[in-house]
Amino acid sequence: MIEVRELTKRYRDLVAVDRVSFNVTKGEIVGFLGLNGAGKSTTMKVVTGYIPATTGTAKVAGFDVFEEPMEVKRRIGYLPEIVPIYPDLTVTEYLDFVASIKGVAKKAKKGEIERVLEKAQLKDVRERLTGNLSKGFQQRCGIAQALLGNPPVLILDEPTSGLDPQQQRNVRELIQALAAEHTIMLSTHNLAEVEQICKRAIIIHRGKLAADDLVQNLISRYKTPERTPNFYEVFDTMLNDLDRQATPAANTAVRAA
Amino acid sequence: MGNTLAIAKKELRIYFTTATSYVLLTAFAAITAYFFVVLVGAYAAQTTQFMGMQAQQMLERMNFNDQVILPLFFNIYVFFLILLPMVTMRLIAEEKRTKTMQLLMTTPVRPIEIVLGKYIAASTLIFVMLAITMVYPLILQIYGASTGDAAPIDWATVLCGYLGMFLLGAAVIAFGLFASSVTDSQIVAVLVSFAVLILFWMIGWAGYGQQGFVADLTANLSLINHLESFTRGILKVSDLVYYVSVIALGLFLTHRAVEAERWN
Ligand SMILES: Nc1ncnc2c1ncn2[C@@H]1O[C@H](COP(=O)(O)OP(=O)(O)O)[C@@H](O)[C@H]1O
Ligand SMILES: [Mg+2]
Repeated sequence: MIEVRELTKRYRDLVAVDRVSFNVTKGEIVGFLGLNGAGKSTTMKVVTGYIPATTGTAKVAGFDVFEEPMEVKRRIGYLPEIVPIYPDLTVTEYLDFVASIKGVAKKAKKGEIERVLEKAQLKDVRERLTGNLSKGFQQRCGIAQALLGNPPVLILDEPTSGLDPQQQRNVRELIQALAAEHTIMLSTHNLAEVEQICKRAIIIHRGKLAADDLVQNLISRYKTPERTPNFYEVFDTMLNDLDRQATPAANTAVRAA
Repeated sequence: MGNTLAIAKKELRIYFTTATSYVLLTAFAAITAYFFVVLVGAYAAQTTQFMGMQAQQMLERMNFNDQVILPLFFNIYVFFLILLPMVTMRLIAEEKRTKTMQLLMTTPVRPIEIVLGKYIAASTLIFVMLAITMVYPLILQIYGASTGDAAPIDWATVLCGYLGMFLLGAAVIAFGLFASSVTDSQIVAVLVSFAVLILFWMIGWAGYGQQGFVADLTANLSLINHLESFTRGILKVSDLVYYVSVIALGLFLTHRAVEAERWN
């Protein structure tokens, strides 16, 4: 469903994403992991067609993001890292607007809005201004918005960040419930979350692909006869190893001219 | 088309759920009402004076169009222009600041639809602003008719004047929208629009005392010079072409800026 090939994105002299390739197949739910600044959001912005890649390609459902952006945009529900809400609109007004620009047919709109209000558990706040909602509810508005039009692919950039543990659990359960019908790629730095809801993890570090494997395989890679590490330890060890391999010179090479 | 209207509808909703539009409309109505009252007062005083002097000829020359509406137009367009940068400042800058632009750009909406949708919303607001001031000629009409004057107002001239003011406003907000598209700060947007507005307002003055090419050029570039014929009820193709070109240029530049947004 998502095919990323040799993707590089450069911001002036900073290489934010460096020749990253991966696939996400239909029906999968994949965790996209990395420290802050690793290049997760940048990769997602390219895949959703918000920014162009410097080199390399990204395809969604067989359509090249650069060649046929409209086809791609029609098939993706995207929750950006900063939830894109209009504080002066109520939840229903907001969803009505997004449904319109996503091309949901006029007749189907009402039902579609009800459907996502239900899914994201927003019914009780439907007439409230989105600007007055708590962070948790705003995040759900962001997810509800992504679900409008029932796109086959969901790209969720840190859907649980900034939420309290209770809210995080709610959002996690929501995502798990969505997994049956959508191909999902979600970024996070909450490793427990990945262990719980994703079978597979793609890890990027300093813009480069560090690992792409089933979570259980990643854990068994670092297993010793004495003990099985948890995913957090695996992640830590993996990144430390990478940093050690990279000489100081290689570190600065990330900031290639 | 659907996307354009959806965006226009959203902008109008925000205009009328936040205080912005009410403040603008109220301020505009209050200021113009004040000048209307003053001008009508002056008209009444002058009429009384001529009656006292038995100056029949002078009395016959008194009419609402020249004595009230024309000077009122001047007041209306001045305050209209001053308020216009506030109509557009938010439109694109705020989408950039709050990152809702990312939403717009990742749904199947084309940049041109974003630009036109926002422009339609702003045009609607300025249409409402001007429409409110239509009550003043209406009052004169009703009052004049009650005193037995069959046609106290020359409506063709009045409507022509309104068309001119609307086009003037439409040209200014096209550049206001552009100013809003080059920054993510509403303050910067409003200051840039003021600067451009004042430049094209005052440019006509630079030509005073000059002759030939410079005088022609400055007079032709001036936003205000092109309004004059409209207010006297004369529709000139050159004036229409001027305003339509300014609108087209403003929208073209805005479109470029929105497209370029992703390529930084
Ligand atoms: N618009 C931008 N201009 C310049 N640098 C950017 C921009 N966006 C992100 N970066 C940089 O690119 C790198 C990757 O950022 P990002 O993709 O947001 O990482 P993540 O989402 O993994 O935290 C960071 O070093 C960040 O500072
Ligand atoms: Mg990020």
